Parts: sequence; structure tokens; C-alpha cells
Amino acid sequence: MSTTLQLFMICAEVLYFVLIFTFLKKKTLSLKYTFLWLFAGIVMLIFTIFPMLFVNLIKLCGVTSIMNGLFALCIFFIIIILMSLTSIVSKQTDRIRTLTQENAILEKRLRELEEKDK
Amino acid sequence: MFNVLVIIPAYNEEECIISTIKKLEEDIDSFDYKDKIHFDYVVINDCSKDSTKSVLKDNKANFISLPLNLGIGGAVSCGYKYALKNNYDVAIQLDGDGQHDSAYLLDLTLPIYENAADIVIGSRFINKEGFQSSSARRMGIGILNFWIWFCSGQKVSDCTSGYRAVNKEYIKLYSSDYPIDYPEPEAIVRAKLNRARIKEIPVIMKERVSGKSSIRPIHSMYYMLKVSISIMICRLANKKLKQKKR
Repeated sequence: MSTTLQLFMICAEVLYFVLIFTFLKKKTLSLKYTFLWLFAGIVMLIFTIFPMLFVNLIKLCGVTSIMNGLFALCIFFIIIILMSLTSIVSKQTDRIRTLTQENAILEKRLRELEEKDK
Repeated sequence: MFNVLVIIPAYNEEECIISTIKKLEEDIDSFDYKDKIHFDYVVINDCSKDSTKSVLKDNKANFISLPLNLGIGGAVSCGYKYALKNNYDVAIQLDGDGQHDSAYLLDLTLPIYENAADIVIGSRFINKEGFQSSSARRMGIGILNFWIWFCSGQKVSDCTSGYRAVNKEYIKLYSSDYPIDYPEPEAIVRAKLNRARIKEIPVIMKERVSGKSSIRPIHSMYYMLKVSISIMICRLANKKLKQKKR
């Protein structure tokens, strides 16, 4: 890996962390769902600072081209993050459903009580 | 007193919901066992886009109106929640589109009343009378019946029938954990894996008066795939549960 590329990567990763922390500070991202992003960022940072670590790891996995290895790693992280998002959405759908049902049952109870009052 | 709740899920049923309720009330009046079994009904309006809600209100029907559209599974499980909260002994699902004949309500209840079953399903394929739907659909139902038997050991003849009665124990199960999209076949498997005694009785179903089936032709492939997979997952999840218990 050339030094220029390394510097560029480090700059990009710093920007990435700054973005995440800005969002965290503004509370538009909750920390609970950001851990995966942070983890992915840290792994990428380690690999940019110590490229040989990455190259050796990739060779171990049988990938010959470094760039391909890098892409594979990126795609891996993206898929994991997407999966976690789908799981969050599913959980929230479930919660919204329960809320809707409870709310509707309460609304019925309220309606009945109001009618009794009349 | 043995209390039965009839759950009527309704989505855009302004034309026939009132006639369904009127017919239901007449049928309930005509039943024997009046001093022993008491029937109530509740309509679950699944955020209909038409005037179903105001029709229900004007006719002073007993109804719950969901503020968001949850689909048939969400509406029915809301009914089960309501049944659990109000301590009903049996909950019966009856579709609001006029397909299910409320004259069978007592027949569905009696096996549970006599403690001969936990869940009673009204099947149109036992006596093969009345509306039998298209042959393609029957084939699909046949495949699902087999798949249910394979995954849970339960023999059913009409796994897509929504016309079913459930006792207290399984009201509790369904109110917290009812399948979402196409719930009927999967609900059988869930109950069976929780050791339910399931019985089928013959009923005659009518062709729907209005409203659309939740299973449209374009979606039938998706339906088969989704239901088969969810039944399989249901089975696998249950296996894990059993191992944990050991």
C-alpha cells in the first residue's frame, strides 16, 4: 500500500469517526445501534495503519488480490450492518403492533366509559 | 357461565359487516345451551379505508378500531388480547365478509365446552359441501396440509380456514404470539407444538359477498413459499426450545 493511499484512508476514517460522533452528540444516532459502525471503523483503521496485518490475513484466507480483499471486507461489514438494521426494524414493527393493539383496546374502554357517563 | 367471544376482523367491509352482525345475533338467540354458554362478539376494524368505522358506530356495534392497519394477523391477535383481558373461556374467529356462517358457532364451541379439544377448526373439506374454491387453491391447501402434518404431526383438511375456536390456554398463547402475515396455517403448527388437541368439524362456507381474499392470485406463489418456510421455522424454533428445557 502506498503512503499516499494510507494517508488518504486515514483522513477518510477520521472524517468517518467525526461524523459518527457528531451524530451521537446530536443524539440523532443512539449508541446502542452505533457500536457496529464504530467497530467496523476501528478494524479499518487498524488495517490502514498496519497494512501488512491485512495483507497476511488476506493471504491466509486465500485471496490473492489486496484490493479484492478490501472490497470483500467492506461488503462483509455492510451486510452485517444491514442485517442488524433489518432485525431492528422487525423488532420495532413488533412493538408498534403491540402498542397499536393496546391503544385500540384502551380506546374502546374509554368509549364505553364515556357512554356510561352520558 | 361459559363465555365465548366471537372475533370478527373487518377490513373495508362497510357493505356486509352489519348484516354479518345481525345474522350472528339471530343465530346466537336460536342456540340451545343459553343458560350455560354466553356469546359476545367484537369487531376488529383494521383501520379500514371506507366507512366501516362510522357504520359500526352508527349501529352501536361492539367494536375495536385499530389506529393503524396491522393486517389480518394483527387484527385477530388484538381480538385474542381483548379476550384474554376480559377473561373469556373461548374465542372464535369469524370473518366479516360473510364467508363464515355464524350458525356453526355452537358446534365449534361444544367440543371445547365438553373439554374434548383445545382448538376446533371449521373445515369445508370434510363433507365437501358449499363453496369449495378453485381447484388450484385446493391443491395449494392440500400441499400445506401435508406440510403441516410433516412438520407437526397434525392432520388437518382445511388449514387455511380462519373459522376456528380456541380455548383459554391457547387464547393466552395467541394473544402474545400470533403469526403476522398469513396466520392460519402457522397458527395450527404453533398450537400443535404446544401440545394442543385440535379437532376439525365440517362447516359449509359461502363465497364471499364482498371484500377481497387476503390471498390474491398473483400472490399465491409468495403465499405458499412464505407459509411453508414460516411453518418450517416454527418447527425448528420449537426444537431448540425443547432442548433448552432439558
